[in-house]
Amino acid sequence: MSGTTAAAGAGAPQPAAPPRRPVRGAARTLLIAAALLYLFAFLILPLAVVFGQAFAHGLATYWAALVDPMAFAAIRLTLTVALIAVPLNLVFGVAAAWAVAKYEFRGKSALVTLIDLPFAVSPVISGLIYVLLFGAHGWFGPWLAAHDLKVVFAVPGIVLATVFVTFPFVARELIPLMQAQGRDEEETALSLGATGWQTFRRVTLPNIRFGLLYGVLLCNARAMGEFGAVSVVSGHIRGLTNTMPLHIEILYNEYNPTAAFAVASLLALLGLVTLVARSALEMQAPELRRKPLPGPNP
Amino acid sequence: MSIAVQGIKKRFGEFVALDDISLDVATGQLVAILGPSGCGKTTLLRIIAGLETPDTGRVFLQGREATDLPVQKRRVGFVFQNYALFRHMTVFDNIAFGLTVRRRRERPAAAVIRSKVAELLSLVQLEWAAERRPLQLSGGQRQRVALARALALEPQVLLLDEPFGALDTQVRQELRRWLRRLHDALHFTSLFVTHDQQEALEVADAVVVMHRGRIEQRGTPEEIYDRPTSGFVHRFVGSSNELPAERRDGALAIGPLPPTPSPGPDARLAVVVRPQDVAVGRAGPGWPGRIVAVRVVGPLAHVDVALEGGQLDPVVAEFGREQLRRERFAVGDAVFVNLVRFGLYAPNEAA
Repeated sequence: MSGTTAAAGAGAPQPAAPPRRPVRGAARTLLIAAALLYLFAFLILPLAVVFGQAFAHGLATYWAALVDPMAFAAIRLTLTVALIAVPLNLVFGVAAAWAVAKYEFRGKSALVTLIDLPFAVSPVISGLIYVLLFGAHGWFGPWLAAHDLKVVFAVPGIVLATVFVTFPFVARELIPLMQAQGRDEEETALSLGATGWQTFRRVTLPNIRFGLLYGVLLCNARAMGEFGAVSVVSGHIRGLTNTMPLHIEILYNEYNPTAAFAVASLLALLGLVTLVARSALEMQAPELRRKPLPGPNP
Repeated sequence: MSIAVQGIKKRFGEFVALDDISLDVATGQLVAILGPSGCGKTTLLRIIAGLETPDTGRVFLQGREATDLPVQKRRVGFVFQNYALFRHMTVFDNIAFGLTVRRRRERPAAAVIRSKVAELLSLVQLEWAAERRPLQLSGGQRQRVALARALALEPQVLLLDEPFGALDTQVRQELRRWLRRLHDALHFTSLFVTHDQQEALEVADAVVVMHRGRIEQRGTPEEIYDRPTSGFVHRFVGSSNELPAERRDGALAIGPLPPTPSPGPDARLAVVVRPQDVAVGRAGPGWPGRIVAVRVVGPLAHVDVALEGGQLDPVVAEFGREQLRRERFAVGDAVFVNLVRFGLYAPNEAA
């Protein structure tokens, strides 16, 4: 091509013959339209319905639904459970990711597979596990009864079930991130005299902060929205062991759709906030997401 | 501070990384560990630093046993192959790190740290970069920051893992000379690992050649180059040609060249000869051959000669460009080859 003369350049071949373009354009438009339609049907429409139904009878009804003692208790319980489960899984996730990314040990791949277990198991089964373990006829049932401790059909059971179904989130975000970042910075810090804790706090943590926030966000969204596992374990005792998702189901089954959607709108709002925060995080640190500092010559 | 290792062995699963390594480095020396990838040189360096523990063997720093000393307590500066700068910190914070993680009692005042870092920044000529992030620097600049960071603690030993690995040739040359000057000025003991023989030969006081977890030879750059003690060292350091030879009845025969006395049992052997030691002439006696390629490489000329008899790779001869001009060698010329000097070894087992 570089050998063509100027004269040939004047009569240089035109870009792809015109007849081709409309077909390419059509395929593109179709695909975009399909994606938008899909988004509309499965995301926008449901959201619109939720908010529409919630406010169908006005603001007063909406507010009344939320401050109703049972609903309020459900909201409070959901928040409490999240406040326990998320920090627990944060610590676990960081510890697991640290172990997997920075050390070599036997059974490492088994650990990684185990971490993914809650995703493979149906949430109902996840809840059932705890019933089988801690229920009246479970392994620890007699012992718990003897000590007057309630796990199943009480808040501890709900917390346990929630922790189980949400524990992969932070770990799964951090493991590939930390593996990609390698051990060099940490080893350097050690060689400069830093203790393990100093290394973690000043070198590792800043490097993983966005992955961590991302994982916590996802973990929280799931913790607040979990239905199946919590449903099995909670016993549905109104005012005591009902989380928001469970309460929504009760309200809906009692033919109180407005109230149901009112509470549901809070969860929908949480979902939207999670989405926005997620995008904000991804925009904040595109170069940090899953990519280590470039090597010697960028 | 002197470094000594005795009987170091290390394996990773089935792979033997280090097989009974013993090494001494005197205070103030700049020693290069040279070898191909996988020879164990980086593993050895990491064991000395305390980032790996040997399966057996002992490590001594300044005569004191350091085998079980954790890396933080060894007071050894380590520079990684890809610098491992703390990506979230400024250059200033990177360099100050070693000083700021000290325990409160031992930590210098902020003003002292500032002046120390400023001193180091001017040493590595990066005063302007104090507030920059590593991402904003070039490879050579990052390297200098990594060095300054290691030097901040005034270590008596500096360990460098392929420090100039992926830099441009020009930058590489400048930096290694600069490192040598720095070493001479600050008198620390340096041990660096490299696969670049040029670097090792140019910068080091002594070179340790490693291969497959063992030390092949240790000596000054000159000794390693001129008097290699094994086929591997001879082939690895500098370029070389290899020719088959046979010893029979106390005489060594290399192709059609006149046999020379060579006491020893009858055997098939390999002759390793450097391109500078291959003499090429138009007139005999010698091993006849034909020139198949002529290359001018900077101030030198390389001539490939296909030797007669036997399916051998062309032998590469090297001499000054002046000689090329005088003799007017060209492709296709019939010439005679003689060997000025060579090493004699067992045939190459595909090292």
